[in-house]
Amino acid sequence: MPRTTKVECPGCPPIRALTFDVLGLVKVVEARSKQGGVPKVVERWGDPDASRCVLAASIDDCKSDPLLAVARKSGVVEVLSPLTGDLRVSITNSCHPDLQPEDDTIVGLHIFKKQILESSFRSCTLLTCTTKGHASMRSVEVLKSPHDSISSDSPITWNVCAAGNILFSKVDGNENYAIFGGKGVELNVWDLDACTKIWNAKSPAKNSLGIFTPTWFTSATFLSNDDHRKIVAGTNNHQVRLYDISSQRRPVMSMDFRESPIKAVTEDLDGNTIYIGTGSGDLAAFDMRTGLNIYETVSAPVESLWAHWKLLGCFVGKCSGSIRSIARHPELPVLASCGEYLVSCLVLVWVFLKQHLSNVVFDSNFNDEGAYSDYLTTSHGNVRTELASTAEDLPSNKARDEDDTLDEDMEESLPVKRKKASKEHNPSKKLKPKKRSKKLDGKDFDAL
Amino acid sequence: MAGKRKKSDDGDEDGSKSNRKSFVVDGDDDSKQKKNGSKGQQLLPSTIKNKEKRSAVHAKLKQQKKLEKRKRAKTRDAAEKQALELGEEPPPKMIPRTIENTRELDETVCKPDDEELFAGNDADEFCSVLKRECNPKILITTCRFNSTRGPAFISELLTVIPNAHYFKRGTYDLKKIVEYGRTKDFTSLIVVHTNRREPDALLVIGLPDGPTAHFKLSKLVLRKDIKNHGNPTSHEPELVLSNFTTRLGHRIGRLIQSLFPQSPNFRGRRVVTFHNQRDFIFFRHHRYIFESKETKQIDSKGKKGKDTKEENGSQEKMVARLQECGPRFTLKLISLQHGTFDTKSGEYEWVHKAEMDTSRRRFFL
Repeated sequence: MPRTTKVECPGCPPIRALTFDVLGLVKVVEARSKQGGVPKVVERWGDPDASRCVLAASIDDCKSDPLLAVARKSGVVEVLSPLTGDLRVSITNSCHPDLQPEDDTIVGLHIFKKQILESSFRSCTLLTCTTKGHASMRSVEVLKSPHDSISSDSPITWNVCAAGNILFSKVDGNENYAIFGGKGVELNVWDLDACTKIWNAKSPAKNSLGIFTPTWFTSATFLSNDDHRKIVAGTNNHQVRLYDISSQRRPVMSMDFRESPIKAVTEDLDGNTIYIGTGSGDLAAFDMRTGLNIYETVSAPVESLWAHWKLLGCFVGKCSGSIRSIARHPELPVLASCGEYLVSCLVLVWVFLKQHLSNVVFDSNFNDEGAYSDYLTTSHGNVRTELASTAEDLPSNKARDEDDTLDEDMEESLPVKRKKASKEHNPSKKLKPKKRSKKLDGKDFDAL
Repeated sequence: MAGKRKKSDDGDEDGSKSNRKSFVVDGDDDSKQKKNGSKGQQLLPSTIKNKEKRSAVHAKLKQQKKLEKRKRAKTRDAAEKQALELGEEPPPKMIPRTIENTRELDETVCKPDDEELFAGNDADEFCSVLKRECNPKILITTCRFNSTRGPAFISELLTVIPNAHYFKRGTYDLKKIVEYGRTKDFTSLIVVHTNRREPDALLVIGLPDGPTAHFKLSKLVLRKDIKNHGNPTSHEPELVLSNFTTRLGHRIGRLIQSLFPQSPNFRGRRVVTFHNQRDFIFFRHHRYIFESKETKQIDSKGKKGKDTKEENGSQEKMVARLQECGPRFTLKLISLQHGTFDTKSGEYEWVHKAEMDTSRRRFFL
């Protein structure tokens, strides 16, 4: 019999993600446990218009008054409310009026979570960075309507680089430092309070054949939230590099991953793992302590998702287009990646969003009940602690325990798919199916 | 035979089943068969060890099946005929199950009422050509080494695509050629890649910043090898793009569409077809003619008129005849890349990967 039925969607924990695409649309994808965890596009903000193409986005998901900053192709930075999509503030990023916004597009945007201004109104601070290296930081007071918001003081601007193209900027967890980098621009670390460059990377030495590869960073991130000294960067010639500011200017570690350029790098919460996405749709996780690849993804189809998971211990997905952005949920063990047309969440579920997407962010305040009450980590909080404990149990066998934790994520979020593992009652101490453990052992051998 | 089929169906659930396991399944099936053999059928031929005996039993089984099938068809025909005679509604025709109509559900299939899709179309790279703001101008070039069938194929492509210009490749980098095409206002660039004197790949690059599609080219038949071929005129051809359903297929369709002028000259009675079937894109080039015939018979139409779009419903005397002009070839998409040709730092919209091919019923276009 040919298979004509659709494989049931494994479902995912209640999440809310915002996606941005080239037509300037913001789409809200929500998964609720009532609907069986099938994510759906629940809202669409904005009208399709190519000039409003979203280039960068950043969310401040504090509990009282969350804000979402979106940088458009036309040079406008908009601050929206991530709950309703209402426009709160709109700023034109015109620090250099002689440059057309098309020539000097915004590549990096960050909305600060901490309040810098002490005022009665809600204010937000934005860091923007353009291709030509014009970085600027400004504070805006957000009032009820977009017209009475005032850009409180003149923006602090500085030049990150003299030549080359900046491709990304990233602010660390404590929001004191920022990294910039790009095509022909080595990694820079800037102190945002003093607006001074504190560190500059040095390109790696020529290889054994005397060939020098030109600098081309495509993405970078801080390895952990509270440490600004360790930086992971992805390059165009498919390298993942670990830099340590405190030790040296050349990379501490450098790994090659497949053949296509790294397009997105995102850190995990544990401070060791990073997730990378490439230009041909591969998603992988690296443990930066060892430099080993924990999982590699194959863009496997739906049916064999489970089988592939067992065989390869990797992320499986449907994306075969370039991965533009990866987002890690701040609380739940969920990873969202956005490719050409699809957004997938730890590749358990995906949503077809019709357009070329540019960005994805999580709204972590989302509660399953629909109302935005304080998000209490109830059942999922338990999962998180469990994850931590398993990671401590087996510190020696990293590849394996990582696999376990992710496996748990998987099982936690897809009860329907757990047919094979359903016999055991305790998910944390589980017997694995024979085949899987065998494969895993084989993999560990490879790793060792 | 039956056991074997069963096995393969069971295997559908899990493509990566080990050999050992499938044997077990086979054994299970056999035992089932033995239990089920209530009709007095013999045991399966595959269990017989003597080859002669086995083939004899097998042949007998096969013959039986054939007869049964014929009988069923006969009774069906008879029932239909009877129903027609009695003026009743004939029994509904069975729809054969094909790979296409049991295709896996794909959420990316474009819907006709999707205004977001049209907005996306208005913003894409082919928009200026397709809205007739500028005329398509095509640059055709080859890979570095090019001989025999390659040039012949290109000379035929030049007759198929209006406003196409062939440039010798020389030793230029493809990126340089893209640069040149941009300055000279070309709208597309086609690179015919040959391997061992046989064209085997086609690279279609939209200019100035359109996507790059890499196709595998196979089953190339040139014009002179087609029997009773016609010679095309220089009129702008009509374009038939069929079966490009998904979001990706839609995009590929638009890429192909942007190679041709958007104002066909119907006097030329020339039609170029890109037909997608199971992710293979078949290219055909025909001339057609409407002729009035006295008889209502349709078997007198063209030899290769498999896909004629004839209207014998309303006016039975008009018959469309097709004559193939060639060339004839098949394309299969390998990758679609964002931006112009750049293998090293390119960003792919879609790449074909081996691990996608785990089902026969999954199609991407």
